[in-house]
Amino acid sequence: MELNTASSVISFARELEENSARFYEGLAKQYPRGEQTFLDFAKENRKFIKQFETAYYGVITDAIEGCFAFSIDPDKYKIDTQPANDVSGAVSQAVTVEDILIRFYTDAAEQSKSLMADVPRAFTLIARKRSGRKQALESIR
Amino acid sequence: MAVLEEPIKEIKEVKNFINGEWVESKGEIVDVVNPANCKTIGRVPISTKEEIDAAVAAAQEAWPDWRRTTPLARSRILFRLKDLLEENFEEVSRIQTQEHGKCIDESRGETRRGIENVEVGCGMPTLMQGYVSEDIAHGIDEYVIPTPLGVFGIIGPFNFPWMIPLWSAPYALATGNCIVIKPSSEVPLSQTRLAELAEEAGFPPGVWNVVNGGRTVVNGMLDHPGIVGITFVGSTPTGRDVIYKRCGATGKRVIAQCGAKNFMTIMPDCDVERTIAAMMTSFFGNTGQRCLSAANAVIVGDDDAFYRDFVEKVIERTSNIKIGYGLDESVQMGPLRDKSKKERVLSYIETGIKEGAKLLLDGRKVNIVGDYPDTCFLGPTIFDGVRPDSKVGSEEIFGPVMSIMRVKTLEEAIEISNANAFGNGHSIFTSSGKAAREFQYNIVSGNVGINIGIVAPMAFFPFSGMKDSFYGVLHTQGKEAVRFFTESKVVIQRWF
Repeated sequence: MELNTASSVISFARELEENSARFYEGLAKQYPRGEQTFLDFAKENRKFIKQFETAYYGVITDAIEGCFAFSIDPDKYKIDTQPANDVSGAVSQAVTVEDILIRFYTDAAEQSKSLMADVPRAFTLIARKRSGRKQALESIR
Repeated sequence: MAVLEEPIKEIKEVKNFINGEWVESKGEIVDVVNPANCKTIGRVPISTKEEIDAAVAAAQEAWPDWRRTTPLARSRILFRLKDLLEENFEEVSRIQTQEHGKCIDESRGETRRGIENVEVGCGMPTLMQGYVSEDIAHGIDEYVIPTPLGVFGIIGPFNFPWMIPLWSAPYALATGNCIVIKPSSEVPLSQTRLAELAEEAGFPPGVWNVVNGGRTVVNGMLDHPGIVGITFVGSTPTGRDVIYKRCGATGKRVIAQCGAKNFMTIMPDCDVERTIAAMMTSFFGNTGQRCLSAANAVIVGDDDAFYRDFVEKVIERTSNIKIGYGLDESVQMGPLRDKSKKERVLSYIETGIKEGAKLLLDGRKVNIVGDYPDTCFLGPTIFDGVRPDSKVGSEEIFGPVMSIMRVKTLEEAIEISNANAFGNGHSIFTSSGKAAREFQYNIVSGNVGINIGIVAPMAFFPFSGMKDSFYGVLHTQGKEAVRFFTESKVVIQRWF
């Protein structure tokens, strides 16, 4: 079902971040070579949750279009969190996760631009930060 | 999507909060019903005259000490309250959805708005400073001391049960007054929770009182010589004919914020997609139950293609609105507050048809997300070809009904908006600064939106209103509230 309300999009973003954080924690245990990077990413994911929740809870009001600012199809942003069998596969998988999440935040920000006040800005910042992860991931391979 | 957990799991027996104690009322008890699932979630008393008298007496007794409490110390209690409200943000929001029916985004928005007023009230040591002129004559100084007045009554409506008393309470309290709040008896649970948190914050007994009920409590407030002023939000007939008149007769200060019929002017140069998103919130948010909801969409210009395409898009977007229980995060529009309110809106839809308006979307046929009785649910309705002087085009419906009108020029749009009796929250959607300024200058409306569909002023601005939408002089919120809750004591001093 399409997500239209800010509340449902925030919940979905939280779920994506939690799932990907657990995914990175799993990789950290499995691949010591990238342990620190994976743990840092997991930690940063939870900071992202705080970041967009702060934006949402700080500006949500009846003057903005909270219930009508999005049209997100959650099926387009499904992530595979079953760790791959080798480190190279795991890195590729992590890059895909990042790509999906960047796409999610970019799409959500675009849809709610000028409707949801600080929320699209938080989403854009998170997408930007995530795009810097790929280089770190490639160095583990 | 899953339905969020309900904070109220069993029937809550609502009590009055008088002199720092939770006391049972001797009045009749009525049910508080969740309009989405029709389950009883509380029982509220319709309190007696003796009970409102007891609350006022307690407030009067508490006032001298509270007045002497320094503004800084009073603000510290508000700071504690603010912290508690943040800690309980989600619970308070979900209670609003349970008792009122609004969507969770809307309830959270209401909670945030209420907290913002507490935050502004926290700045009272600066906000209530007076002013001084040295040497108005040689050796003589003159200054103003804003002083509190005593006990104020705050009468809340059903549509924003938690937030609206907070348009007044933090200002009244921080300036050194005591309060008696009468919540709407339909939705008293979030006010009960607010009073519990106020008690925890440390307001001394008698400073913050809550008396639940109806007309008897309101009359008790209006007639009581111990109440120096009233703030009221509700319908125009009650605000104008009861609250404003009786406050005048008994010498009370008054802020009476009343009904509305808001016109949204849509210029052909507007950003169509964003205008339509804003229209959804403005016409159908809170199920149309707010004094800032747009009611009439006035489409300007003689471009038939623009008009046709715009209306088609509005219908398409409106048809897709998800209706259901507000605790379901996917839901965009909840039920009306109760069955009688739904019937009132239904009667307006019938009237619109009889008046010859074209029914483009019939909200009487409603698809509900989830398994809920349709008792209070109504879908969004769109009429086209509505005359501004018809009942549907001129009276406050207070429900999810959009009336489309078409005019040739901006001047005409302003003219029909100004011809209406109300003046609360008119708005314009345009990309022309010139048109926006002309609209802002000529429209008679207390709150004006330029590419904003719900013109809800921030806590540090007054919540304004004009014509039949407002009775009084000063408004709630911000600096005007500080003025309302204080008297200017002017001192001229000379020392020999």
